Amino acid sequence: MKTTMKLLCAFLLPLIAFCVIYPSPSVAHGERAQMPQLRMRTVHWIDVEASTTKLAVNEIVKISGKFMPSKYWPHHVDSIEDTAYLNIGVPGPSFVRLDSRVNGVPMIRSTSFRKGEVYDFEITMKARKVGRYHVHTVINVKGAGPMIGPGIWVEVTGDEAAFVNTAETLLGETIDLESYGLGNVMAWSALWFAVGLAWFVYWLTKCPIVVPRFKRARELGPEADQMITTMDRRMGGIFLTLTLSLIVGGYVYAQERWPITTPLQTGKIDVPPLDQPPTPIAIKLIEARYRIPGRSFRMEFDVVNDSDRPVTIGEFAAGNLRFINADVLDVKPKDEHDLVASDALRVEGAPVAAGATQRVVIYADDAMWETERMTTMISSPDAVVAGVLSFFDDAGERHLVEFGGPMIPDFGMVPR
Amino acid sequence: MDLLIIPLIVLLFMGIFSFHFALLVGDWDYWVDWRDRRWWPLVTPLALTVLPGVFGFLLWDKLRLPLGGTLTILCLTLAAWISRYLNFHLFADFPMNFVWPSTYIGLGLILDCMLLLTRSFFWTGLFGGFTFGLLIYPLNWSILAPFQVPLELNGTMLTVADLMGYEYIRTAIPEYVRIIEESTLRTFGAAVTPLTAVFAGFLNIMNYWFWLWIGYLGTKAVWIRKIV
Repeated sequence: MKTTMKLLCAFLLPLIAFCVIYPSPSVAHGERAQMPQLRMRTVHWIDVEASTTKLAVNEIVKISGKFMPSKYWPHHVDSIEDTAYLNIGVPGPSFVRLDSRVNGVPMIRSTSFRKGEVYDFEITMKARKVGRYHVHTVINVKGAGPMIGPGIWVEVTGDEAAFVNTAETLLGETIDLESYGLGNVMAWSALWFAVGLAWFVYWLTKCPIVVPRFKRARELGPEADQMITTMDRRMGGIFLTLTLSLIVGGYVYAQERWPITTPLQTGKIDVPPLDQPPTPIAIKLIEARYRIPGRSFRMEFDVVNDSDRPVTIGEFAAGNLRFINADVLDVKPKDEHDLVASDALRVEGAPVAAGATQRVVIYADDAMWETERMTTMISSPDAVVAGVLSFFDDAGERHLVEFGGPMIPDFGMVPR
Repeated sequence: MDLLIIPLIVLLFMGIFSFHFALLVGDWDYWVDWRDRRWWPLVTPLALTVLPGVFGFLLWDKLRLPLGGTLTILCLTLAAWISRYLNFHLFADFPMNFVWPSTYIGLGLILDCMLLLTRSFFWTGLFGGFTFGLLIYPLNWSILAPFQVPLELNGTMLTVADLMGYEYIRTAIPEYVRIIEESTLRTFGAAVTPLTAVFAGFLNIMNYWFWLWIGYLGTKAVWIRKIV
């Protein structure tokens, strides 16, 4: 026994000491655990920005950007065209959400989004708790779960005790949502607890009640009801009357105090898509090969440029990873967890001249494929990938084009 | 002996009832914006009756103590308040007025007093089981009503509870997850609440008898003999 205890101590103490001395902050919300196909083929997030990354309690931060539900949404995953909800991924209510909109429509209720459309969104939040938070945009899809967008670190400072969150009811009363109704809840709950406890205590006054009553009930058998005294029955009547009176009295009190109430509100709303001109760029994926040893994704496209300007590819984005062509764009990571590879996109065969159809090959090479666990795409039951290419013309205008198709893994065993 | 057994029983009831209630009622009791007129008053009594039924039989049959309803629900209430305060409020930062537990102690008292006065499981089930299901909503209305006062947000009418559900962010609980106000009772106009309450009451008669029977099987301990 002593040896076992010693062994346990020898194992547990260093473990506990390590956990106490080296507490590492939790930074991920499970996005890396999601299947790569799910990340690449559900929702593409574009230009996600925070209005500020440092603010004090009671100050406002707006998260805005665009998203595009993928046309290559997996068939085995419930569709975003059924029921979805624009949400935000933060640890608990460290912020309160004051407003959220998609294409200008308030997103208080659930909705649905069309695949292939581009939507503008904006979420307005007020800082509530001090801390540093990795704020993610999220679209929850009914039956499929959360589709997590890119995360941005936001730091909140100040005095939590000074946080205020008020609202005005349609009856003209201004209420503090942090404490509204709590006094009433506690008073009624305490009252009921006291009544219940009084009933329990009444029976405890007959202690000892366990063994003697067990023996007595056994002795009496079918006549065990004799153990119930007249006083017991009287107490039963009193408590029953008191209980029913309190229920009726509480109900009448609430009806008098809050005569106007409505049922909880739910339902879906529609979000009309934005009126946007069709993109003049069309692409067809010819081949997509992911070379595992080099962490390199090679994709070959036929690009049709129907615009009147030459275009080239400035960015390839898939599964919240952004691969930038440094010859076209200068994009730097916003923080240490911004998934931007600033110079990781190599483009061959571009620019594509106005009116031309051209074969273009891109290489997205970066360790992010590995570190963000995208390499597990080779374990997918349907090896299809999707992403968004950002084409830029010589005037700097951007055209977003989604592509998708089968992916072939290259294990580096066959020389190419 | 009582000093040892009774605290142990209280702790046991607190543990198993909170676990059981979390599994079967869960979000309906965690969040104020889940307590609707249709599902919450129907689901709750059906799940809430289990322990009062099983242990009510045991305490009455073996000790002639009408405590099964009140004691189990008192323990649940105590555990729920501790959990909401420590887990939901202090740890997860939700305001207490968004996550307070409903009150059910009155329902346990009704069962126990009925049993004491009638000394019959049949009549307790018929009247006590029925009122147990019937009265959940009116019993809680004194604390729930202020949260169903209407207000407006960006051109949408909401209740105070809805607004709190929207503002206090729950990443894993999108709006559509709430199982509330589903379907329609079109021929009953606005009388949704009393209709649900009466239906819950009728269902709960059978439900209470069923769990009494399970308690009866438990006290027979036939299953222990089979195992041993």
